[in-house]
Amino acid sequence: MTAEIIDGKAFAARVREQVAAHVERLKADHGITPGLAVVLVGEDPASQVYVRSKGKQTVEAGMASFEHKLPVETSEADLLALVRKLNADDDVHGILVQLPLPAHMNAELVINTIDPAKDVDGFHISNVGLLGTGQKSMVPCTPLGCLMLLRDRLGKLAGLNAVVVGRSNIVGKPMAQLLLGDSCTVTIAHSRTKDLPAVCRGADILVAAVGRPEMVKGDWIKPGATVIDVGINRIDAPEKGEGKSRLVGDVDFASASEVAGAITPVPGGVGPMTIACLLANTLTACCRAKGLPEPAGLTP
Amino acid sequence: MSATVIDGKAIAARMLAATRVEAAALTNEGWAPRLVSISVGDVAAAELYVRNQSRQAERAGVGFEARNYPDTISLEQLTGVLQGLNADPRVNGIIIQRPLPQHIPVKALQRAVHPLKDVEGMHPASIGNIVYNDLALGPCTAVASVEILKTLPLKIEGLDVTVIGHSEIVGKPIAFLMMGLGATVTVCHHMTRQVSVHSRQADAVFVAAGRPGLVTGEMLKPGAALIDIGINRIEGPDGPKTVGDADFDSCAEVAGWITPVPGGVGPVTVATLMKNAVLAARMQMEHYREAYRAAE
Repeated sequence: MTAEIIDGKAFAARVREQVAAHVERLKADHGITPGLAVVLVGEDPASQVYVRSKGKQTVEAGMASFEHKLPVETSEADLLALVRKLNADDDVHGILVQLPLPAHMNAELVINTIDPAKDVDGFHISNVGLLGTGQKSMVPCTPLGCLMLLRDRLGKLAGLNAVVVGRSNIVGKPMAQLLLGDSCTVTIAHSRTKDLPAVCRGADILVAAVGRPEMVKGDWIKPGATVIDVGINRIDAPEKGEGKSRLVGDVDFASASEVAGAITPVPGGVGPMTIACLLANTLTACCRAKGLPEPAGLTP
Repeated sequence: MSATVIDGKAIAARMLAATRVEAAALTNEGWAPRLVSISVGDVAAAELYVRNQSRQAERAGVGFEARNYPDTISLEQLTGVLQGLNADPRVNGIIIQRPLPQHIPVKALQRAVHPLKDVEGMHPASIGNIVYNDLALGPCTAVASVEILKTLPLKIEGLDVTVIGHSEIVGKPIAFLMMGLGATVTVCHHMTRQVSVHSRQADAVFVAAGRPGLVTGEMLKPGAALIDIGINRIEGPDGPKTVGDADFDSCAEVAGWITPVPGGVGPVTVATLMKNAVLAARMQMEHYREAYRAAE
């Protein structure tokens, strides 16, 4: 095993400390407390876990957390009314509507009703376009976290060959935009790509975000490359006992870590960065709303 | 020379004819499509473009009004003008001509155009839609370049594409459009270590870097399609002339298809603007009718 393991957990903790310290100063110097509103519709167990975790970390960072739990039968109109109320609420600087929404709701409409300046998930169509045109925007949390990890390890990314596997709206596409923003040569590969292993072998930076357990093998990786594994897949683990399972990424960690220069583990790599970046985005949104300087190192 | 030279004028003529039919249908419904072009200050700089757009609008059956404002106008005043045009149902599309005076930031104006009237496809929401694969109103040059590629007998799904130049209005939207169509896209730019490593792998190359002679034949895979978006004025032996970003002669030896400059992407871009104008008019008509129904 040669690759350095990128400790996302430790890095995320440092980001959260940085956010908390900045929040402390905002309170002391300006009497401002950044606030994050999280809206959960229905009782999806995974979503409940996420929302609880987000709320807890928001409070730990010294920010205000507003949780809105709505029953699954809530009408779209009522949800839109809540979003508009939160848009107008001066104590709320970030709004997150937990996805997925129940089938009777138009998620796109709901997301695009959020004030883009409060859209801490960075999914509003205006934020997507602002990122695409190199303007100030709210950036989706997971790719922002990946960018922070890459910069921390590699310093300047300019001129490096980056391959993003997966073209999802929430990871692959914004990740490609961010890497282009840092002047990487970027290839976006996906399920239709003809020779995926060969494309991946050209990468100094390889970001895997396809949701296929252990798809990227060690011999797809250029020796010394930095590998960021965004996938979180649960697979059967009979070796741990009957009915047991474990989490793996989109990268076959055992073989990849023998070739890569550095690699994120799953769990404990990209995962913890996502909520840390959500807190960072809420702080950024608050500073922008108040016309105060943005904290350094928390935005692209 | 082995490459087939792509006739941008012929593609544009077909598009304009189709747009004309659509424009006539909209006119019958009381929604005659109409564009307003805004230029500020020095008229001469944009005049060539405005005149050409006006002529193509006529061919497409689209109304066209060119407005010029003095360069003493403030950003606030101009934004006010745009808000007026946004609210005016007789105006379906707004074009902001460049260059603009120093004190008028182009992005601020583009953001002020209502997304449904953004026929140039420059509003952040329009770009966002492109990224999200909803191809309503796209930036004209990028859409035109992709439309040209689509006329070739190539299967786009799985196609290896290299885009040279990562500008926000051409290179990046082309990348996202092609990716949405299933191509594997690599975006190169001035920081790319060796462009030829990427371009030689590509079944199709788009170049939009603004550097004459940037792409030469040995940078291409034999038989590849080359879409040249550059427009550069250079001094030739017989006086000034317009060339693209590709060294045409050497590229034509190697490529399977190549767009000439002029006569390639340029005419298709203006035709795309007209197509966007009727598209915008139709979207506004539907939007208006929906709002009317909802109010009833």
